[in-house]
Amino acid sequence: MIRRHGGDRGQVGGVEVLPFGLLVFVVGTLLVANVWAVVDAKLAVDAAAREAARHFVEADVPAADDFDDASAGARRAGYEALAAHGREEARSSVELTGLESPTGQAGFTRCARATFTASYDVPVLRLPWIGGFGSGLDVTSRHSELIDPYRDGVPGSAEACS
Amino acid sequence: MSRGSLGRDGGSALTLMPAGLLIVLVLASIAVDMSLVHLRKRQAFELAAAAANDAATAAVDQARLRTTHDYVLDPERARAVVADVVAASELAPELAGPPVVTVSGAGVRVEVALDADYIFADVVPGAPDGTEVTASASATAAAGAAASAVP
Repeated sequence: MIRRHGGDRGQVGGVEVLPFGLLVFVVGTLLVANVWAVVDAKLAVDAAAREAARHFVEADVPAADDFDDASAGARRAGYEALAAHGREEARSSVELTGLESPTGQAGFTRCARATFTASYDVPVLRLPWIGGFGSGLDVTSRHSELIDPYRDGVPGSAEACS
Repeated sequence: MSRGSLGRDGGSALTLMPAGLLIVLVLASIAVDMSLVHLRKRQAFELAAAAANDAATAAVDQARLRTTHDYVLDPERARAVVADVVAASELAPELAGPPVVTVSGAGVRVEVALDADYIFADVVPGAPDGTEVTASASATAAAGAAASAVP
Protein backbone atom coordinates (compact mmCIF):
# COMPACT_ATOMS: atom_id res chain seq x y z
CA MET A 1 0.00 0.00 0.00
CA ILE A 2 2.70 2.41 0.98
CA ARG A 3 4.80 1.38 -1.95
CA ARG A 4 1.95 1.83 -4.37
CA HIS A 5 0.90 5.34 -3.21
CA GLY A 6 4.15 6.66 -1.85
CA GLY A 7 4.41 9.18 0.96
CA ASP A 8 1.72 11.72 1.76
CA ARG A 9 3.92 14.72 2.39
CA GLY A 10 3.20 16.30 -0.97
CA GLN A 11 -0.49 15.55 -0.73
CA VAL A 12 -0.74 17.19 2.67
CA GLY A 13 0.59 20.32 1.03
CA GLY A 14 -1.56 20.03 -2.07
CA VAL A 15 -4.71 17.96 -2.09
CA GLU A 16 -6.55 19.96 0.53
CA VAL A 17 -6.20 23.14 -1.47
CA LEU A 18 -8.01 21.64 -4.45
CA PRO A 19 -11.53 22.41 -3.11
CA PHE A 20 -10.35 25.88 -2.15
CA GLY A 21 -8.83 26.46 -5.56
CA LEU A 22 -11.94 25.15 -7.27
CA LEU A 23 -14.13 27.40 -5.14
CA VAL A 24 -12.01 30.46 -5.87
CA PHE A 25 -11.99 29.65 -9.56
CA VAL A 26 -15.74 29.00 -9.92
CA VAL A 27 -16.89 31.90 -7.75
CA GLY A 28 -14.30 34.27 -9.19
CA THR A 29 -15.11 33.30 -12.75
CA LEU A 30 -18.84 33.76 -12.17
CA LEU A 31 -18.22 37.15 -10.56
CA VAL A 32 -16.03 38.40 -13.37
CA ALA A 33 -18.35 36.93 -16.02
CA ASN A 34 -21.39 38.60 -14.47
CA VAL A 35 -19.68 41.97 -14.22
CA TRP A 36 -18.55 41.67 -17.81
CA ALA A 37 -22.10 40.66 -18.84
CA VAL A 38 -23.42 43.85 -17.23
CA VAL A 39 -20.78 45.99 -18.98
CA ASP A 40 -21.55 44.29 -22.30
CA ALA A 41 -25.30 44.73 -21.80
CA LYS A 42 -24.75 48.39 -20.96
CA LEU A 43 -22.99 48.88 -24.28
CA ALA A 44 -25.95 47.22 -26.02
CA VAL A 45 -28.70 49.22 -24.29
CA ASP A 46 -26.74 52.45 -24.81
CA ALA A 47 -26.74 51.73 -28.54
CA ALA A 48 -30.42 50.73 -28.52
CA ALA A 49 -31.58 53.89 -26.74
CA ARG A 50 -29.44 56.05 -29.01
CA GLU A 51 -30.68 54.39 -32.21
CA ALA A 52 -34.30 54.59 -31.11
CA ALA A 53 -34.05 58.28 -30.20
CA ARG A 54 -32.23 59.07 -33.44
CA HIS A 55 -34.80 57.17 -35.51
CA PHE A 56 -37.68 58.91 -33.74
CA VAL A 57 -36.49 62.50 -34.17
CA GLU A 58 -35.83 61.88 -37.87
CA ALA A 59 -39.28 60.39 -38.52
CA ASP A 60 -42.05 62.05 -40.50
CA VAL A 61 -45.31 62.42 -38.64
CA PRO A 62 -48.69 63.60 -39.95
CA ALA A 63 -49.58 65.61 -36.82
CA ALA A 64 -48.04 66.60 -33.51
CA ASP A 65 -50.21 64.15 -31.59
CA ASP A 66 -49.98 61.34 -34.12
CA PHE A 67 -46.56 59.83 -33.55
CA ASP A 68 -47.47 56.20 -32.86
CA ASP A 69 -45.94 54.98 -36.11
CA ALA A 70 -42.77 56.97 -35.45
CA SER A 71 -42.58 55.54 -31.95
CA ALA A 72 -43.10 51.99 -33.20
CA GLY A 73 -40.41 52.44 -35.87
CA ALA A 74 -38.02 53.87 -33.30
CA ARG A 75 -38.64 50.97 -30.93
CA ARG A 76 -38.03 48.55 -33.80
CA ALA A 77 -34.72 50.31 -34.52
CA GLY A 78 -33.81 49.92 -30.85
CA TYR A 79 -34.60 46.21 -30.87
CA GLU A 80 -32.57 45.76 -34.04
CA ALA A 81 -29.62 47.45 -32.34
CA LEU A 82 -29.98 45.03 -29.43
CA ALA A 83 -30.20 42.09 -31.82
CA ALA A 84 -27.04 43.30 -33.54
CA HIS A 85 -25.33 43.02 -30.15
CA GLY A 86 -26.60 39.44 -29.82
CA ARG A 87 -29.31 40.27 -27.28
CA GLU A 88 -32.66 38.49 -26.91
CA GLU A 89 -35.71 40.63 -27.56
CA ALA A 90 -37.66 38.70 -24.91
CA ARG A 91 -35.36 40.04 -22.20
CA SER A 92 -35.29 43.62 -23.44
CA SER A 93 -37.53 46.64 -23.73
CA VAL A 94 -37.23 49.89 -25.64
CA GLU A 95 -39.77 52.57 -24.76
CA LEU A 96 -40.47 56.21 -25.46
CA THR A 97 -40.36 57.63 -21.93
CA GLY A 98 -40.49 61.32 -22.64
CA LEU A 99 -41.60 63.73 -25.34
CA GLU A 100 -41.86 67.28 -24.18
CA SER A 101 -41.75 70.55 -26.07
CA PRO A 102 -40.03 73.70 -24.74
CA THR A 103 -43.47 74.93 -23.66
CA GLY A 104 -44.02 71.81 -21.58
CA GLN A 105 -46.55 70.16 -23.87
CA ALA A 106 -46.31 66.56 -25.01
CA GLY A 107 -46.19 66.17 -28.77
CA PHE A 108 -44.01 65.78 -31.81
CA THR A 109 -43.13 69.43 -32.27
CA ARG A 110 -40.00 71.34 -33.16
CA CYS A 111 -37.39 71.40 -30.36
CA ALA A 112 -39.32 68.82 -28.36
CA ARG A 113 -37.03 66.53 -26.41
CA ALA A 114 -37.64 62.84 -27.10
CA THR A 115 -36.28 60.42 -24.52
CA PHE A 116 -35.99 56.69 -25.07
CA THR A 117 -35.17 54.19 -22.38
CA ALA A 118 -33.79 50.77 -23.22
CA SER A 119 -33.38 48.03 -20.66
CA TYR A 120 -32.11 44.47 -20.67
CA ASP A 121 -32.51 41.76 -18.09
CA VAL A 122 -29.05 40.23 -17.70
CA PRO A 123 -29.27 36.54 -16.77
CA VAL A 124 -27.49 35.32 -13.65
CA LEU A 125 -25.72 32.55 -15.52
CA ARG A 126 -25.12 32.41 -19.23
CA LEU A 127 -23.70 29.29 -20.83
CA PRO A 128 -22.42 28.96 -24.37
CA TRP A 129 -24.90 27.24 -26.77
CA ILE A 130 -27.40 26.77 -23.94
CA GLY A 131 -28.40 30.32 -23.07
CA GLY A 132 -29.02 32.28 -19.89
CA PHE A 133 -30.64 31.26 -16.65
CA GLY A 134 -32.30 33.31 -13.96
CA SER A 135 -33.20 36.94 -13.69
CA GLY A 136 -30.18 38.98 -12.69
CA LEU A 137 -29.64 42.68 -13.04
CA ASP A 138 -31.80 45.02 -15.05
CA VAL A 139 -29.41 47.18 -17.09
CA THR A 140 -30.98 50.42 -18.29
CA SER A 141 -29.88 53.27 -20.50
CA ARG A 142 -31.57 56.53 -21.41
CA HIS A 143 -30.90 58.76 -24.37
CA SER A 144 -32.63 61.94 -25.45
CA GLU A 145 -32.48 64.08 -28.56
CA LEU A 146 -34.12 67.24 -29.76
CA ILE A 147 -36.42 67.18 -32.75
CA ASP A 148 -34.66 69.37 -35.28
CA PRO A 149 -36.23 72.85 -35.21
CA TYR A 150 -35.60 73.53 -38.91
CA ARG A 151 -36.18 70.25 -40.67
CA ASP A 152 -39.22 69.69 -42.89
CA GLY A 153 -42.04 67.30 -42.09
CA VAL A 154 -42.52 68.55 -38.54
CA PRO A 155 -45.70 70.36 -37.49
CA GLY A 156 -45.44 73.77 -35.89
CA SER A 157 -43.10 76.73 -35.95
CA ALA A 158 -39.51 76.99 -34.79
CA GLU A 159 -40.10 80.33 -33.10
CA ALA A 160 -40.89 78.61 -29.82
CA CYS A 161 -37.39 77.13 -29.78
CA SER A 162 -35.61 80.39 -29.02
CA MET B 1 18.58 15.52 -5.34
CA SER B 2 18.30 13.40 -2.25
CA ARG B 3 15.00 11.64 -1.86
CA GLY B 4 15.44 11.57 1.89
CA SER B 5 15.98 15.29 2.31
CA LEU B 6 13.46 16.81 -0.13
CA GLY B 7 10.89 14.05 -0.61
CA ARG B 8 8.64 13.62 -3.63
CA ASP B 9 7.30 16.68 -5.43
CA GLY B 10 4.22 15.20 -7.11
CA GLY B 11 1.65 16.72 -4.73
CA SER B 12 3.40 20.03 -4.18
CA ALA B 13 2.59 21.09 -7.72
CA LEU B 14 -1.04 21.31 -6.64
CA THR B 15 -0.25 24.26 -4.39
CA LEU B 16 0.49 26.28 -7.50
CA MET B 17 -3.04 25.84 -8.78
CA PRO B 18 -4.82 28.34 -6.48
CA ALA B 19 -2.06 30.85 -7.09
CA GLY B 20 -2.40 30.33 -10.83
CA LEU B 21 -6.16 30.67 -10.69
CA LEU B 22 -5.89 33.83 -8.62
CA ILE B 23 -3.52 35.30 -11.17
CA VAL B 24 -6.02 34.51 -13.93
CA LEU B 25 -8.83 36.11 -11.94
CA VAL B 26 -6.77 39.21 -11.17
CA LEU B 27 -5.99 39.60 -14.87
CA ALA B 28 -9.67 39.14 -15.70
CA SER B 29 -10.55 41.78 -13.10
CA ILE B 30 -8.11 44.21 -14.67
CA ALA B 31 -9.68 43.49 -18.06
CA VAL B 32 -13.17 44.22 -16.67
CA ASP B 33 -12.00 47.48 -15.09
CA MET B 34 -10.42 48.55 -18.36
CA SER B 35 -13.62 47.68 -20.21
CA LEU B 36 -15.48 49.94 -17.77
CA VAL B 37 -13.16 52.78 -18.70
CA HIS B 38 -13.82 51.98 -22.37
CA LEU B 39 -17.58 52.02 -21.69
CA ARG B 40 -17.34 55.42 -20.01
CA LYS B 41 -15.26 56.71 -22.90
CA ARG B 42 -17.93 55.64 -25.36
CA GLN B 43 -20.67 57.13 -23.22
CA ALA B 44 -18.74 60.39 -22.96
CA PHE B 45 -18.39 60.54 -26.72
CA GLU B 46 -22.06 59.73 -27.31
CA LEU B 47 -23.07 62.44 -24.84
CA ALA B 48 -20.76 64.98 -26.48
CA ALA B 49 -22.01 64.01 -29.94
CA ALA B 50 -25.68 64.25 -28.93
CA ALA B 51 -25.09 67.64 -27.28
CA ALA B 52 -23.19 68.99 -30.29
CA ASN B 53 -25.79 67.60 -32.68
CA ASP B 54 -28.63 69.31 -30.82
CA ALA B 55 -26.75 72.58 -30.36
CA ALA B 56 -25.85 72.78 -34.07
CA THR B 57 -29.47 73.48 -34.93
CA ALA B 58 -31.27 74.49 -31.74
CA ALA B 59 -28.70 77.16 -30.87
CA VAL B 60 -28.93 79.10 -34.09
CA ASP B 61 -29.35 82.85 -33.79
CA GLN B 62 -32.91 83.01 -35.11
CA ALA B 63 -33.11 86.78 -35.35
CA ARG B 64 -29.99 86.93 -37.49
CA LEU B 65 -31.12 83.98 -39.59
CA ARG B 66 -34.46 85.60 -40.36
CA THR B 67 -33.01 89.04 -41.12
CA THR B 68 -29.72 88.32 -42.88
CA HIS B 69 -30.11 84.59 -43.71
CA ASP B 70 -26.76 83.96 -42.00
CA TYR B 71 -26.66 80.65 -40.19
CA VAL B 72 -24.67 81.53 -37.08
CA LEU B 73 -24.87 79.92 -33.67
CA ASP B 74 -25.48 81.92 -30.53
CA PRO B 75 -22.78 80.91 -27.99
CA GLU B 76 -25.02 81.51 -24.96
CA ARG B 77 -27.84 79.55 -26.52
CA ALA B 78 -25.41 76.76 -27.44
CA ARG B 79 -24.23 76.50 -23.83
CA ALA B 80 -27.83 76.38 -22.64
CA VAL B 81 -28.72 73.61 -25.11
CA VAL B 82 -25.67 71.58 -24.14
CA ALA B 83 -26.48 72.07 -20.46
CA ASP B 84 -30.03 70.81 -21.10
CA VAL B 85 -28.74 67.74 -22.94
CA VAL B 86 -26.27 66.93 -20.18
CA ALA B 87 -28.86 67.48 -17.45
CA ALA B 88 -31.30 65.17 -19.22
CA SER B 89 -28.68 62.45 -19.51
CA GLU B 90 -28.29 59.65 -16.97
CA LEU B 91 -24.58 60.48 -16.97
CA ALA B 92 -25.10 63.87 -15.29
CA PRO B 93 -23.99 62.57 -11.84
CA GLU B 94 -20.79 61.18 -13.39
CA LEU B 95 -19.61 64.48 -14.84
CA ALA B 96 -16.10 65.43 -13.75
CA GLY B 97 -16.79 69.06 -14.62
CA PRO B 98 -19.06 71.26 -16.70
CA PRO B 99 -18.95 70.60 -20.45
CA VAL B 100 -16.76 72.92 -22.51
CA VAL B 101 -18.63 74.46 -25.43
CA THR B 102 -16.78 76.24 -28.22
CA VAL B 103 -18.75 77.97 -30.96
CA SER B 104 -17.22 79.03 -34.23
CA GLY B 105 -19.68 80.43 -36.76
CA ALA B 106 -22.05 77.61 -37.67
CA GLY B 107 -20.08 74.95 -35.86
CA VAL B 108 -20.01 73.89 -32.26
CA ARG B 109 -17.55 71.72 -30.36
CA VAL B 110 -18.45 70.05 -27.08
CA GLU B 111 -15.98 68.46 -24.69
CA VAL B 112 -17.21 66.27 -21.86
CA ALA B 113 -15.27 64.74 -18.96
CA LEU B 114 -16.68 61.81 -16.99
CA ASP B 115 -15.53 59.93 -13.91
CA ALA B 116 -14.96 56.23 -14.48
CA ASP B 117 -14.96 54.24 -11.26
CA TYR B 118 -13.13 50.94 -11.05
CA ILE B 119 -14.86 47.92 -9.53
CA PHE B 120 -12.05 45.54 -8.69
CA ALA B 121 -9.06 47.89 -8.37
CA ASP B 122 -11.00 49.67 -5.65
CA VAL B 123 -10.30 46.82 -3.22
CA VAL B 124 -6.53 47.05 -3.66
CA PRO B 125 -4.95 49.35 -1.04
CA GLY B 126 -3.20 52.27 -2.64
CA ALA B 127 -4.70 51.70 -6.04
CA PRO B 128 -6.72 54.53 -7.62
CA ASP B 129 -10.51 54.33 -7.28
CA GLY B 130 -11.05 55.37 -10.85
CA THR B 131 -9.96 57.63 -13.63
CA GLU B 132 -11.29 60.49 -15.69
CA VAL B 133 -12.15 60.12 -19.36
CA THR B 134 -12.75 62.92 -21.81
CA ALA B 135 -14.37 63.00 -25.20
CA SER B 136 -15.20 65.73 -27.64
CA ALA B 137 -17.42 66.05 -30.65
CA SER B 138 -18.14 68.83 -33.08
CA ALA B 139 -21.13 69.41 -35.31
CA THR B 140 -22.04 71.75 -38.12
CA ALA B 141 -25.45 72.11 -39.70
CA ALA B 142 -25.38 71.55 -43.44
CA ALA B 143 -28.08 72.72 -45.82
CA GLY B 144 -30.28 69.90 -47.02
CA ALA B 145 -28.79 67.37 -44.63
CA ALA B 146 -28.97 66.53 -40.98
CA ALA B 147 -26.30 67.89 -38.71
CA SER B 148 -23.43 65.48 -38.38
CA ALA B 149 -21.22 65.00 -35.37
CA VAL B 150 -17.61 63.98 -35.77
CA PRO B 151 -15.13 63.02 -33.07
